[in-house]
This record gives sequence, structure tokens and C-alpha cells, in this order.
Amino acid sequence: MAKRSIIQIKDLKKVYDLGAFKVQALKGLNFDIEEGSYTAIMGPSGSGKSTLLNILGCLDRPSNGAYILGDDDVAHMDDKELSGVRGSRIGFIFQSYNLIQQLNVVENIHVPLFYQGKDISDHYDHCVKLAEKVGLADRLDHRPMQLSGGQQQRVAVARSLVNEPLMLLADEPTGNLDSTTEQEILDILDELHGEGRTLVIVTHDDAVAERAERVIHLKDGLVDQDIRKGAAKAVAN
Amino acid sequence: MRGSSLIQIVQVGFKSLRLHKLRSGLTMLGMIIGVWAVIVLVAIGEGASHDAQEAIKALGAQNVIIRSVKPMSDKVQLQGSDMEWETIYGLKNSDASRISKTVPGVIKVLPVLTQRKNITHGKRDVDCQLIGTYPYYPQFTQSKMVAGTFLNEIEEARKENSCVLTLELAEKLFAGHNPLMEKVVIRGFESAQVFRVKGIIQERVEGAKLPQQKDALGRTISANVFIPLSTFKALFGIKNIDRSVGSLSVERVELSEIRVEFGSADEVMEALPLLREALDKTRRGKVDYEIQVPINELNALKAQKARDTRMLMYIACISLLVGGIGIMNIMLATVTERTQEIGVRRAMGATQKDITVQFLIETLILCLLGGSIGVCGGWGFAWVRHHLLHTTTIVTEWSVLAAFGLSVTVGLVFGLYPARRAALLDPIEALRHA
Ligand SMILES: Nc1ncnc2c1ncn2[C@@H]1O[C@H](COP(=O)(O)OP(=O)(O)OP(=O)(O)O)[C@@H](O)[C@H]1O
Ligand SMILES: [Mg+2]
Repeated sequence: MAKRSIIQIKDLKKVYDLGAFKVQALKGLNFDIEEGSYTAIMGPSGSGKSTLLNILGCLDRPSNGAYILGDDDVAHMDDKELSGVRGSRIGFIFQSYNLIQQLNVVENIHVPLFYQGKDISDHYDHCVKLAEKVGLADRLDHRPMQLSGGQQQRVAVARSLVNEPLMLLADEPTGNLDSTTEQEILDILDELHGEGRTLVIVTHDDAVAERAERVIHLKDGLVDQDIRKGAAKAVAN
Repeated sequence: MRGSSLIQIVQVGFKSLRLHKLRSGLTMLGMIIGVWAVIVLVAIGEGASHDAQEAIKALGAQNVIIRSVKPMSDKVQLQGSDMEWETIYGLKNSDASRISKTVPGVIKVLPVLTQRKNITHGKRDVDCQLIGTYPYYPQFTQSKMVAGTFLNEIEEARKENSCVLTLELAEKLFAGHNPLMEKVVIRGFESAQVFRVKGIIQERVEGAKLPQQKDALGRTISANVFIPLSTFKALFGIKNIDRSVGSLSVERVELSEIRVEFGSADEVMEALPLLREALDKTRRGKVDYEIQVPINELNALKAQKARDTRMLMYIACISLLVGGIGIMNIMLATVTERTQEIGVRRAMGATQKDITVQFLIETLILCLLGGSIGVCGGWGFAWVRHHLLHTTTIVTEWSVLAAFGLSVTVGLVFGLYPARRAALLDPIEALRHA
């Protein structure tokens, strides 16, 4: 019944040392995230959501505590190892899409594979398939500048999937979109969840949180509430 | 580095540079001008040096040329009449025979007597240099006959009125007619003599010992007329008259030049002191000759060229340094501008090394592209100068290699700092960068 945990966090702390004083952004977090789950992280501004997500995404290291991703302790990896983990096991979706301007849609989708040493010629079909999956079959050689915000975010979603990651991390993925486009992106995320992917999404938006199975509320660098509505949904599925 | 991904980095590099065409172009300009300058300057220097070396080689590396020079002191000797001054100086026939007898290693001695004259054919008349010499002059000076034959022993013995013209002079005087067996008049200050043209010669070095004349196309004219030395002395004498400032100045010079051929360039160096000794024996300290040693000049020229080349390389290095700083400046701006892209790439799994390589390659592309354009431009310029402007210009392989090598080095050195800076950016801060 219990699914495998792909994230295990114990007493996770993050301190920013600003010289004159220290900012305790995360003050000791403990939780697991199971494979295939859909988690939303909420909380007031400055509560540490982005800090947490950066650590989960191996862009940053915790000051203290343990972070097990899959079977690996990533809390103590060096920059090169962390780059490898980011490239092979994590899919990022950002609020401001963050596509590379000089590359077209397919090339943007391919970027994570490139850093895994995989040629675009060998994986072109795979990238195209992902573009089709997010509804951009007719935009393959468009540049980001030629796409709407919603379309750019679709490219970003496709890009996050290209390396078959353990989990997708998104920081306010719909923060820059209007409500219709937001629904479209959320539908895609739902679909991915349906396919068994693990999603962790930071959001301010209740509409986003509604779709998640679990909502972790942060407050002042600590877990304030951890609500699982999983039972109902799991049954529904 | 994986080969095919290198190709992709290069492709991405080109895409990034194409995003800012004007900026990339201006950045390359420094490199283009630097490389262009290296190639062009070296080619011009090489061409000039080549010409000079050829001229000296034509004089013969195993030859020594002794010339009569009007002595500075003891200049004028009064003789007889009130307004006539006469100077007797210079080389003598006895010098020539003493050299061939006493100096070791001498193979041949060629006496030459020269005076400025005027030559006419019909209505045309040209200033020329009248040269009295021996029949083996062409072999000695590596000159070749274009038509007819050179003076021979019989003409020398009989003091005949035969002459040989240089090609340029023949063209001027005869304007297309065949000059062979035609008559010309050679006019000096005192006498005019009729000569028969028996050959046309083309000298290897022209103007080396004469004031240079140029034709309409800017080519050097060697308006030389060769006659037997014996004829020269019999008809014109060794008295050379020069009218200047109201007075008459007469010079008596028996031989204008003695050319001495040795067996080899090494023997030249060994024999020089003995040669001076032989000449000074009868002169009692009077300095009325100079010795030109082509092999020495050639060596001096080569040394000078080595110095010039070094100087050029310093200048080239400085100009490429300036170009390199320009490139570094632009790459730093590029890194700042593309901070977010760097953050994204890092999030997508790029290591610091990946980022370093990417920016380094972009810098290298700028340098290599600039370098190539510079090489082509320099080559083109040299070609035009050589083939269309007829000025010897020689593009040397090493200058192309050096220019290319330097631009790559500059790219690596000046690209490394911006690339490292990009790589060391904190991924999170880079991602947040607007
Ligand atoms: N690089 C940093 N240096 C110093 N302090 C930082 C840094 N990054 C974040 N902080 C601090 O850590 C705390 C948590 O910040 P974080 O960005 O995680 O908040 P957040 O929950 O994502 O807020 P928001 O909803 O506004 O995005 C804040 O007090 C912030 O000032
Ligand atoms: Mg945040």
C-alpha cells in the first residue's frame, strides 16, 4: 500500500549568513514525499518556500539536516555531482518559463539531455513527441520570442520531462499566466500526475493547491500544516 | 569532451553571436585589423627585403666591387691655365693587374670605365652612361643578351666602334625598329663618334651603380651603352669634363670600377685585407676608392630584416592584445546579459566546466572568425599590391600561422576570465536575474 518515498527530509535547516546577522530561512523541516504524489507547498511570502524548493532541486545545499533523494544523500554532494543530479533526476518549471532565447522549441526541450551527453539527432523524435504532448506540434522551430507566455510554459513543461526525472519541481508555474492559460497548464500537470509522475509545486494560488493531493503549509521556516486529501482522490482514481 | 556535443556548442555559439550581429562584428574588428596588419606588414617587409637581396645577389656573393671615389681632402690640383682645375684620382689599370697577381683566390678581374654621355639616332637623343669594359662583362654580371652579341676580343684589340645597348635604351632610341647594325652617335663634351650597334643586353641589376631613370610606367631604365675599353680610351680619353659654376673642372679617372670575382664567398672574406693592402700600396694614404662587398651587405640586410621582423611581432602582439581586451570586455558584458540563461543551463544540469567551455568557445569563434577574415584580407591586399601594383609583396607562411596562433591564444587567454565568471555564478542568483 505505502509507496516508496523518493524524498526524505530530516531536520532540514537553511541559514543565510549575511555577515552582520543570520537569516534562518528554514528552521528544521521533516517530511517525506512519495513516488507519484502531487504536493503543493504554500505559505506566506518569506516563509521559505523557494528556499525549500531550491534545496529539493539540488540548486542549493542545506546548512544542516539530511536530504535523501531516491537512494542518495544529496546534502553533501559537490557542485559537479549536484549538476548531474539536476540534469538527470529533476525537472524544473519556473514562473518566468526561462527558455533559452537563441534556441527553438525542440532545441529548448533537448537542453537537459545535452548536458547528459545525448545528441539532439538521436533524441529528436523524443523531443518532438514531448512538444506534441504539450500541444505545440506546429511550433517546433519557433523561438521563445515568437510564443505566448502559456506556450512558453508548455515548452518548459516538455523540457522538464525530457530526461525522465524522478520528480517535477515547479515554483509558481502559473504566476505569470491568465486564468484560462493557468487552467490549461494545470490540466497538463494533472495529466502528468495521472501518468504517475511525482509533482511538487510551490504556489500562492488555492486553485492550484486544490488539484494537489497534499498541501504543506510553511510558516517562518517551519511546517505549519501538512494536509493530505489523498484518501479521497486515491479512491477516485 | 564528447565530439558531437562540441559541434553543438559551436552551433549554439554561432547562434548566440548571430543574436547580436553588429556587436559581434565590431568585436571581431579588433582581431581582424590586428591579423591583417601582421600579414600585410610582414608581406611588405618581406617583399622589400626580397628585392634588396636579389639586387645584392645579382652583384654576386663571391664578388667584390671597387669604385673610384673623389677624395675629400687634397681635392683640387691647379694646372696650367687660370680657370681650369683638374683632379686626378681613382683606380688605375695597374691596380687591376696588381690585384689579379697578388691577391689570393681571385678568379677574374673586370675593369670598367664610365662617363656620362649623350647618344643619338636620327632625331632621338637620350642621356646615357657610356661604359668601356671587357668582353666577359655579361658573364661576370649575369646579364643576358636579348639580341645580337656582346663585344668581342677582336673589337677590343682593334679598338673598333662597336656598341651594345641596354634593352630599355634601345626601345627609347629606336622605338620599335631593329637597332642591330644601325648607326648611333655618341657625343661627349669634346667629341662625337659614330658607333655601330651590335647587340642588345638586359642587365640583371640595373641602376645599382647609376642614377636611376624611370619610364612612364615607373620601371627603372638602365640607359647604358657598352663599348670596348680600348675604344673608349682612344676616342674619349679618361678626361671627364664637368662645367659647373663658371669654371671648368676636369677629372681624370682611369677606371671607374674594378670588379673582382673570387672562387667563393668565404674566400672574399679572407682576401679583403690583402685586397686593401694591394690598393693602398701606391696611394700614400690617399683614399680615392671604396670597396663594396655584396656578401657583407647581404648579411647586414638579413640581420636588419630579423630586427624588423622582431619589431613587427611586438607591434602585432600589442595590437592583438588591444583586440583581446576588447573581446574580453564584450564577453563580460555578454555574461552579465545572459546571466539568466546561465542559471537555466545550470538548473538543467550544466556543470561549471560546461559553462566555461561554452563561453570559451564563443570567444574562440570570435577570434578565429576575426583571424580568418584578417588573413583573407591581408592576403587579398598583398595579392593586389603584388600583381596589380607590381610591388613585390610576399605573404609568408609563418606570418599567417603566427597571426592565427596569436588570435587563438588571445581568445583563450581573454576568454577564460569571462567564461570562469559565468561558470562560478550562483545558479539560484543567476536564475533570479531578470
Ligand atoms: N540569498 C539569500 N540571502 C539572504 N536571505 C535570503 C536569501 N534567499 C532568501 N532569503 C531569505 O530567506 C527567507 C525565505 O525566503 P524565500 O525566498 O524562500 O521565501 P518564499 O516563501 O519563497 O517567499 P515568496 O512567496 O515571496 O516567494 C526570507 O526571509 C528571505 O529574505
Ligand atoms: Mg519564492
